[in-house]
Amino acid sequence: MHVPGPLPVVDVRSLYVRFGEVDAVRGIDFAVEPGAATALLGRNGAGKSTTMRVLAGVIPPSDGLVSVCGHDIRTETLTVKRLTGYCPDVGGLVPRSTPWEHLQLAARLRRLDGWEERARELLERFELGAVAHRVTAGFSHGMGRRLSVVLAAFHEPPVLLLDEPFDGVDPVGVEATMDVIADARARGAAVLVSTHLRELAVQACQDAIVLRGGSAVAVLPAADMHGEAGAGVYRGLLD
Amino acid sequence: MPTIPARLRASAADAWIAVVDLRALLRFRVAGLRGRSRRLSAYGTGVIGLMTVLVAWLPAHLPQEMARRDDVFTLLPSALVGILVIGVVSAAASGGGRELVPRDQAVAYPVSPTTDHLGALVMAPLNIAWLLQAWVLLGATAFVTGPGPGLVLSQLMLLVWLATATALSQVVGWGLEWLRRGRRGVWSTRLVTVLAGLVAAYLVADDRLVPALEASPTTEVTIASLGAAHGLSWFYVRVLAVLLVIMLSAVVAGAWLASAVSRRPARDETRLESSAYQPRANPGSDLLAMVRVDRVAIWRSVPLRRGLAVLAVMPGLVAIAGDLQWNMLTILPGLVASGGALLFGVNAWSLDGRGALWRDSLPVEPRLVFLSRCWVLVEVLLVATLGTLVMAALRAGLPSASELAAVCAGGVVVVAQVVSASMRWSVRRPFSVDLRSARATPAPPLVMVGYSARLALSTTFVGIFFSVLARVPWEWSVLCALPLLLFSAWRLVRTANAWADADTRCRVVATVAS
Repeated sequence: MHVPGPLPVVDVRSLYVRFGEVDAVRGIDFAVEPGAATALLGRNGAGKSTTMRVLAGVIPPSDGLVSVCGHDIRTETLTVKRLTGYCPDVGGLVPRSTPWEHLQLAARLRRLDGWEERARELLERFELGAVAHRVTAGFSHGMGRRLSVVLAAFHEPPVLLLDEPFDGVDPVGVEATMDVIADARARGAAVLVSTHLRELAVQACQDAIVLRGGSAVAVLPAADMHGEAGAGVYRGLLD
Repeated sequence: MPTIPARLRASAADAWIAVVDLRALLRFRVAGLRGRSRRLSAYGTGVIGLMTVLVAWLPAHLPQEMARRDDVFTLLPSALVGILVIGVVSAAASGGGRELVPRDQAVAYPVSPTTDHLGALVMAPLNIAWLLQAWVLLGATAFVTGPGPGLVLSQLMLLVWLATATALSQVVGWGLEWLRRGRRGVWSTRLVTVLAGLVAAYLVADDRLVPALEASPTTEVTIASLGAAHGLSWFYVRVLAVLLVIMLSAVVAGAWLASAVSRRPARDETRLESSAYQPRANPGSDLLAMVRVDRVAIWRSVPLRRGLAVLAVMPGLVAIAGDLQWNMLTILPGLVASGGALLFGVNAWSLDGRGALWRDSLPVEPRLVFLSRCWVLVEVLLVATLGTLVMAALRAGLPSASELAAVCAGGVVVVAQVVSASMRWSVRRPFSVDLRSARATPAPPLVMVGYSARLALSTTFVGIFFSVLARVPWEWSVLCALPLLLFSAWRLVRTANAWADADTRCRVVATVAS
């Protein structure tokens, strides 16, 4: 007897994103179940960040169906934004605001009460406690990435979208990000991680989707891309 | 140790390399223009060139009334000083002059301070205040000289003066930036500015401004330039040669100072970026939360703060020096509001920088985000306008009810007009810019010229309109302001609707965050 699995939190069907003449994403299908973490892998321009931006409600899909927790992203964008936590691939921080001011804004718009303790704990975990009241314009790239992960995760969203969270981040930051992903999975959130760092993706996620030229060329268990053999498999999928 | 000729040879070689690099950067900048931007830039350059030729030639054929000609002749030396003042204020306020290539783009290339300096000189005329003053000078010279072969010589002298004044302004701009970057530099710069203000105030209060302007060397430049109508003279050649020597010396001095500036860190920028700010209580509403973030984006930015201070103070000083009466003060709000918008308002979403993506992922109605940005823009422009008017009122005395109503209503109308235009342009043509540098502009230089010309035209028209209303009962100002305000509000609502469209917002956010 076939036992149906849990309903996917993230459901993407035939997603197309066009920028003028360019098809950034061409008919991607995938689903992420509660408590699962999926890696989006691929070369530059493969469509990873565009897919993440669609899921974050920042880019409207040109075609296809994208739903988060059953809400259509096209018609219920605001609801979807409430359900997601997004760490963008570039910057992601308002240059002249402090980390605490970022958190205050997010907490207000997400209707969070008593968020301060968790925010402090996360800032400490990512070693940002000492700079919580400094403007982010003076932050290093790695500090900026770490704060972006904090901002994505601190309201414990059902869907965590991390675009290049390990880029330029030191080992302490990588470990803290891994903990955040593990915590999110443990409470039943769906996690999507877009990265170029294959080994970290394997470590953080159980599934991987390899994108090439805007299309998904493979959906496979992340463990299949582990080690030397996995590197060969991945390399083969990129060409 | 290298000999003096060897040093001179090395400096000449460096200067030549800088010129070659400048050409390369200009090509790089032009190559970056695509499609519509390229066409618009070509049209813009063509219009500026055509306007320059027309204003330098057509007024010569106007009817020559001796009395009017003498009036213009008398004012020309002061107008020549005017372009120097405009150049100095622009160069000083923009931390040494505009960048030919934005800092974040140029960082990958070995751009020398000399190339940077030459780039700032090339960019200096792409400033509406400079352009308008230059056109006024060219037109006035043509009017006084009249038609004939001497007109070319007169205008040649004027062009050399424009180049000399710009080069001298650049020296002052770099000099002030060098001072600002030193120890206690901010206070030293403030002291210099206050001293300059006090000298100007003394000259005005003691009725010495006009004699000082008459005694300025620009009188000789004017005489030599206009004397060319009667043919070439030794006096003309001597003045031209002196100007050329001053110009070349100023270009060299500017390059030397630019190099000195590049060796000093931008202390106030780095201080601001490493400063800690006491957390405030949690905001009580969504709008307040966003207004706070938008507000600090302006007040924690060194160039924006400096620019707004200059805008609030300079027109006020001009009003005091010129003894402007209340019926003329209606012009000032337009000047201040336009200037404020040109600091950042015409590309208002760029205040978020790369944080725009994250902000757009937050669950909030796009129209509320739009309202917050408008709110902050209105607030900033009103504060700067109020500062100017308070200063101007110090000499203008107590206004009548009609004058007060005209100034207030005119001020509110131009602020609404400027905000409406700025937000429309911000949504229609966003640009990715790093406004951390005082030398950055919110849009490319030619676009800025277009924006400033349009703002100057519309706000000056409104200012003149309310200047007329200052002579009639105050109710007229209020009545006339209402439809103008409603028109601006209607345009703002249209822009807010455009912003609420997901595709439009996505384009804006992706551009400013890139």
